[in-house]
Amino acid sequence: MSAADMLVVDGVSKVFAGEAGFVGKLLGRSGVGTRAVDEVSLTIRRGEMFGLVGESGCGKSTLARMIAGLTPPTQGQIALTGVSGHKPRLQMIFQDPFSSLNGRWTVGRIVAEPIRVHGLREGKAVEARVHELLEHVGLSAADAYKYPQEFSGGQRQRISIARALAGEPDFLVLDEPTSALDVSVQAQILKLLDTLQSELHLTSLFITHNLSIVRLMTDRLAVMYLGRIVEEGPTEQLFRSPRHPYTRLLMDAAPDLDTEDRSLHPIPGDLPKPGTPMPGCRFANRCPRAADLCKAQEPAMTAGEGGERFRCHFPLD
Amino acid sequence: MSAALLEVRDLRVELKRGKQQLTALDGISFAIAPGEVLGVVGESGAGKSLTGAAIIDLLVPPLKRTGGEIVLSGRHLDALSREDMRKVRGRRIGFIAQDPMTSLNPVLTIGQQLVDTIVTHLPVSKEEARQRAVRWIARVGLSDPARRLDQYPHQLSGGMRQRVVIALALCAEPELVIADEPTTALDVSVQAHVLQVLRDLHEETGVAVMLITHDLGVIAKMADRVAVLYAGRVAEIGPTSEVLRTPRHPYTSGLMRATVAPGLDRKALDPIPGSMPNLSSIPPGCAFNPRCARATAECRSQRPPLVDYRDGAGKHACFHPLEDGR
Amino acid sequence: MSAVPSPATPARPSAVLRLFEAAKGAPGPTLAAIVGILLAAFAFIVPLFAPDPFNLASTSVMDAFTPPMWMADGSKVFPLGTDDQGRNMLTALAFGLRTSLIVGLASVAIGLLVGGALGLTAGFAGGWVDSLIMRVADVQLAYPALLLAMIIDGAARSALGQQRDVKTAIAIVIISIGVAFWVQYARTIRSSVLVERDQDYVAAARVTGRSALGIVVLHILPNVMAPVLVIATINLGVAIITEATLSFLGIGIPLTQPSLGTLIRNGNNFLQSGEWWIAVWPCALLIAFVVSVNVLGDHLRDVFNPRLRGRS
Repeated sequence: MSAADMLVVDGVSKVFAGEAGFVGKLLGRSGVGTRAVDEVSLTIRRGEMFGLVGESGCGKSTLARMIAGLTPPTQGQIALTGVSGHKPRLQMIFQDPFSSLNGRWTVGRIVAEPIRVHGLREGKAVEARVHELLEHVGLSAADAYKYPQEFSGGQRQRISIARALAGEPDFLVLDEPTSALDVSVQAQILKLLDTLQSELHLTSLFITHNLSIVRLMTDRLAVMYLGRIVEEGPTEQLFRSPRHPYTRLLMDAAPDLDTEDRSLHPIPGDLPKPGTPMPGCRFANRCPRAADLCKAQEPAMTAGEGGERFRCHFPLD
Repeated sequence: MSAALLEVRDLRVELKRGKQQLTALDGISFAIAPGEVLGVVGESGAGKSLTGAAIIDLLVPPLKRTGGEIVLSGRHLDALSREDMRKVRGRRIGFIAQDPMTSLNPVLTIGQQLVDTIVTHLPVSKEEARQRAVRWIARVGLSDPARRLDQYPHQLSGGMRQRVVIALALCAEPELVIADEPTTALDVSVQAHVLQVLRDLHEETGVAVMLITHDLGVIAKMADRVAVLYAGRVAEIGPTSEVLRTPRHPYTSGLMRATVAPGLDRKALDPIPGSMPNLSSIPPGCAFNPRCARATAECRSQRPPLVDYRDGAGKHACFHPLEDGR
Repeated sequence: MSAVPSPATPARPSAVLRLFEAAKGAPGPTLAAIVGILLAAFAFIVPLFAPDPFNLASTSVMDAFTPPMWMADGSKVFPLGTDDQGRNMLTALAFGLRTSLIVGLASVAIGLLVGGALGLTAGFAGGWVDSLIMRVADVQLAYPALLLAMIIDGAARSALGQQRDVKTAIAIVIISIGVAFWVQYARTIRSSVLVERDQDYVAAARVTGRSALGIVVLHILPNVMAPVLVIATINLGVAIITEATLSFLGIGIPLTQPSLGTLIRNGNNFLQSGEWWIAVWPCALLIAFVVSVNVLGDHLRDVFNPRLRGRS
């Protein structure tokens, strides 16, 4: 672990124990565990924005919740290093701008919570800091005295950002922060996050299902599929020459704005249900390059020349 | 435009909230030609789903259609009784809803639902209907169609379910299908697949499609023409390539530049300031004027009418349309 | 946990104006609220000035069975007539309703406190704590609340023997009814907590490092109170009826103390002999108060219905 490593995730797994339930037990069934996250390792360096992409059920949100300390890993370690002596502080921005703010609290009290809990300011300085933060995210100081219900989705997401910044975090987890927003508002929030990232030199994990957003925002990137990281590397390089077929197919699947070339690029097959046992590569049943080897044996994580890592027996060039 | 399959003229939908009478759709007009795919795009609150619901008379109170004409193949749908409208729905206009979880009946098998729909609307025997159902399952790309017929919706994945919904919408051989955000609830990898199925069936059957979406990428790939809605009004309508390459309305252009599409440069992302107004605070004049860099006094006081450009190839509602798309 | 940054009150219409607006939109509940407030005022103000009709010194048996004033033999001194002991029915009703209200409010408060604490604990802690509390609740639900109140009341009596005074008797009734109703509060709060616990604002507070107690008290509690207050309102009516029933059966408030229950019980003895007013007035009062409380409670439920929330 080098000095530049801020977050180290080492062999982390999360198994959700399936409860058989009363009737299930009567019928002699035992609960089946679902490995939502399966031996994931990654390192996030100081000052970078790291992207984590995947479709629903791939385990990206579970991984985020483990990193944020909201749920303990079943196996493995997560180590977060602080900057200067104090216990490392982490903040999180959530997808749903409605459930992420306590509707009974004023915006000022919401934003002040991390300041008070961490004792970052005292007395009058708290209020001043709240006003400063609200203005920083494009709201006004007067908004501190309103309730969240008085704001639109995009404005609420700004309040969430102000609250996260109020905690002066060493590390920021962004869990699909713009997925619930409209196109024009999404662009505003992405722009704001981009500005804050460069102004405040934050270190952050940006989770999304949208590859285009990851390309826009992040320095490095990992692609998850069914609980595993299948590919990881510097964002630009990964987009220029992806090694894992899934990454390639995912990049092509999202329609662009070109009206000349109207071809669609569907990925064959459907996402298997999480928990489906697969002895070999998890993508094998949908992969155009899959051979017998892929179905029998899971490929190990392999390092490429450009700092990328991937899990594939027959990588793309 | 006399050859239009569906013609919507000056459609108004209002709702009463307390003492306020609010306008949700404010004079929507467009036409769909036989066999055409019309994309309807807009952000939430633009009224795109309401437009679809108003056409097939599925508005939920307090929403109410208060004006306008809806003409399908020369027949006024707006004047139909509830009973007659029910026959049109399903038989002549199919509907694909956003959420495949709730648009299928969970206690009936896929086969029962398809056969029911077919025998309700077409003069065929139950046996013939069953054979057709099997063919429809195969046409939407599900493997082992005969066995699928006896499966329940919960036994299928989200993408498969949405393909069954497409089969249900098309099995009565309608002339028009309204697809309301058909791929929004689906994952990226599944989304393209469902769009492909929709496109193939459109080409095979010649059904016209009204494709409602917030995703300009979907529009770019699927739509022959596109209507851009803003605050319950049509901002711009025209051939997709024309509208997306050289948008006339500043909102269309703004939406394009705010869209995070594959291959977009970080610097090029350019948000539209502000947000769509609430129904209760739609500004006078052009609804977009507070967010528009080109707005003048005229825009703030008068509502721009929908006018033709390029000899009727398209229409826009703007006093100061863009010339070069920027 | 320090104070909120001094909120400058946002510009809103004055309280009186808002009250007026709200009343116009819901005439039924408004009427119910007015009736309820008037009756409560009657119950708490009249006893401040009138002599206690249950004090033997202030009544005369000579006045017994006086009919209401508009009937033959009626007297203006006793507008609603008198009972078998010559007690003024009008003031007896005020004293009786006061006792019933005190019993109702106090038992609701006890139920709310016990049920609220257990429901919060069960919902937030989960695991075996949750199972234990909820199984106890399930068992208790197997007994009707009235039966349970009778059991508790009986047990307390046999423990205390015969030398209990009126205050102890009232306290026993309050606790019996309060405990009999805690399950409803606990279940409602628990199910709300289970919903709120998984909301992202709670996750945000946890990420920030707020303690479990802080999260429960500051974040979850304010968000689960609305449905509970609705139940509490409706339960006020139920508690008053339960008190009346217990007292009517002779196991609640002693006959020497006026409550709606004891008044009805007493009046019941004379229904057959034609002195209808002794039973009818307390019955009418009970119905009027309970109906107004229920109408109000139903209205509150509509207002706080989460399905309707956020549509304004």
